[in-house]
Amino acid sequence: MTSAQLEIQLIASIVAIACAIPGTFLVLRKMALISDAISHSILPGLVIGFFITHDLSSPLLIVLAALSGLVTVILVEFIQKTGLVKEDTAIGLVFPALFSIGIILIAKNANDVHLDVDAVLLGELAFAPFDRLLVNGADLGPKSLWIIGSILAITVTLLMAFFKELKVSTFDAGLATALGFSPAVLHYGLMSVASVTTVGAFDAVGAILVVALMIAPAATAYLLTNDLKKMLVLSIGFGVLSAISGYWLAHWLDASISGSMTSILGVLFLLVYLFAPSRGLLSVLYRNKQQRIEVSLLTFLLHLNNHSEEEERHINHLNEHINWQKVRSKSVVDLALKNNMITIDNNVISLTDKGTSFTNKAIDYIITNDDTEIESMKEDFFLFRG
Amino acid sequence: MKKYILILVTLAIVSCKPAKKNENQKLQVVTTTTMITDLLRNIGGDKIEVKGLMGTGVDPHLYKASEGDVSKLFNADVIVYNGLHLEGKLEDVFEKMRQQNKKTIAVSDIIDKSTLIESEYFASNYDPHIWFDISNWKQITSYVVEKLSELDTKNTTTFESNGKAYLEKLSSLQTAIASRIEELPVEKRILVTAHDAFNYFGKAYKFEVVGLQGLSTATEAGVKDVQKMASFIIEKNIKAIFVESSVPKRTIEALVEAVKSKNHEVEIGGTLFSDALGSDGTGEGTYLGMYKYNVQTIVNSLK
Repeated sequence: MTSAQLEIQLIASIVAIACAIPGTFLVLRKMALISDAISHSILPGLVIGFFITHDLSSPLLIVLAALSGLVTVILVEFIQKTGLVKEDTAIGLVFPALFSIGIILIAKNANDVHLDVDAVLLGELAFAPFDRLLVNGADLGPKSLWIIGSILAITVTLLMAFFKELKVSTFDAGLATALGFSPAVLHYGLMSVASVTTVGAFDAVGAILVVALMIAPAATAYLLTNDLKKMLVLSIGFGVLSAISGYWLAHWLDASISGSMTSILGVLFLLVYLFAPSRGLLSVLYRNKQQRIEVSLLTFLLHLNNHSEEEERHINHLNEHINWQKVRSKSVVDLALKNNMITIDNNVISLTDKGTSFTNKAIDYIITNDDTEIESMKEDFFLFRG
Repeated sequence: MKKYILILVTLAIVSCKPAKKNENQKLQVVTTTTMITDLLRNIGGDKIEVKGLMGTGVDPHLYKASEGDVSKLFNADVIVYNGLHLEGKLEDVFEKMRQQNKKTIAVSDIIDKSTLIESEYFASNYDPHIWFDISNWKQITSYVVEKLSELDTKNTTTFESNGKAYLEKLSSLQTAIASRIEELPVEKRILVTAHDAFNYFGKAYKFEVVGLQGLSTATEAGVKDVQKMASFIIEKNIKAIFVESSVPKRTIEALVEAVKSKNHEVEIGGTLFSDALGSDGTGEGTYLGMYKYNVQTIVNSLK
């Protein structure tokens, strides 16, 4: 591994961390698209910067781009505050407007200059190791590492200082106001961090990867936990994992680095979406199926409880009597046997003591809706988990 | 977590020592566009190793780096590129590498600024498609020979003789092209394409060049542009317009439809190579072949 390869992975990992932190809050606040919006709405800033300096590589262009990002955030907030439209609509209204102002400015005044977001701002991860910070001729490492590193440091400091406030204002803006911290100030603060991170990260790794790194790790983590701290840690973990494995995928395929990282993010999300323990697609399907069987089990046990006569309890009779298909009645009987709720003697089914007490508790729960009695049953049965 | 980051950062900084060079190895040359790759192969022959970043048909404006390009750049002894913002942000990277004593050659540096076509609106922003003027390409050939000889003194004679042979080929190309274009009367020399890549060609052979899209291939043609161009084609009675290899066909097809809707016929004269050469191994895969092919296509369809 050459130092350039190592540096790319390092820069990508730090970008991933710097994006995952604001990304987590953006996803929770349903503002995830703001990073995508910023990637477009910075164009007028760039164009105006170019008109002032006539130089495509002037740092003023980047400063004005970040300012455009802030303007986007403020406008979105302003429109949303009117209460007439939702967050996503507000975002969708603001960024095309700003982007088109940029396009019109180019078309009117600079059609023969190679001026677009790509040419000025969007970085390419592959070249990041070659753009180095030189102070008095000394090589201090890649420039983007310093930029994104400082952004990360600021983000982490702010996160540590305002974690509690951010948490409360994210989940309950009313409570935050009552407790004395202004959700609006926190909101603008968070959005400014997101905007600066986005523009800084654009310069290092390009637009699509930034949008993906802000949204995908947080969305993936959200499928796995409800705890904010855990979600932050998981987002960071997924981001860094995708950054590094994406790099090696690109190495193996000789393909675009940020493209490969983004693909890994997508695959990770898909895997978690399918296999997550409680919110994953497969576990939801499994739970639904189990619940159906358990409802049948309860019906079956009630039936046994109500009938002492033998012919009602004969195993062949149950099929006809409760009118279940063979397969279903077999899985219900198996489940009851597994839990020692019934015994089968000469094809006649009897409830055990455990079966009787289970049935009674379940009836109590259904009537009173008081779940103290059934605490132990929640472990084994989805039915009682609510 | 922070401790971990700190360790990684230190590691990265420590590991940034310059790589050692094997003395017996061939000079490693990395080039950007396919035109420059072709030029370097002609001059260097088997004395140097040439690796091009952009593949066949890749528009420099829209080039995306792959992971392999990192190693190419990292191991390069010298990087040869066009300049004048043709390679976009990549040029900032080369600029930075130059400051760290990596050898870079911007071929456009040798061309006299006063002969460059300047942006209408902004001074010192120039049209980068300089290779369409063969005399520019001759100057660049000599410049590259000179620079390579400085870098690889052992093979100076090879570079010089290869360069001389290539210059002769360029001169005979120039005569052949000039006589071919003579077949076309001056009033028929109007070249309509998707984007403004052929301004130097136009300047050299008295063509009026009209591009739909503007200089950057990233912006799209406006509706009014298409309408204006359609009227222009009818007014000047232009027989054919051209598609470019690295720009989508769509824009030109829209124009053909616009002209048809005004009850006038214009045909697509063929595909011209603009920002990239054709596939390796075909005639159009070299600068000489590409130039001949373009002129052939233009003259045949406009005659």
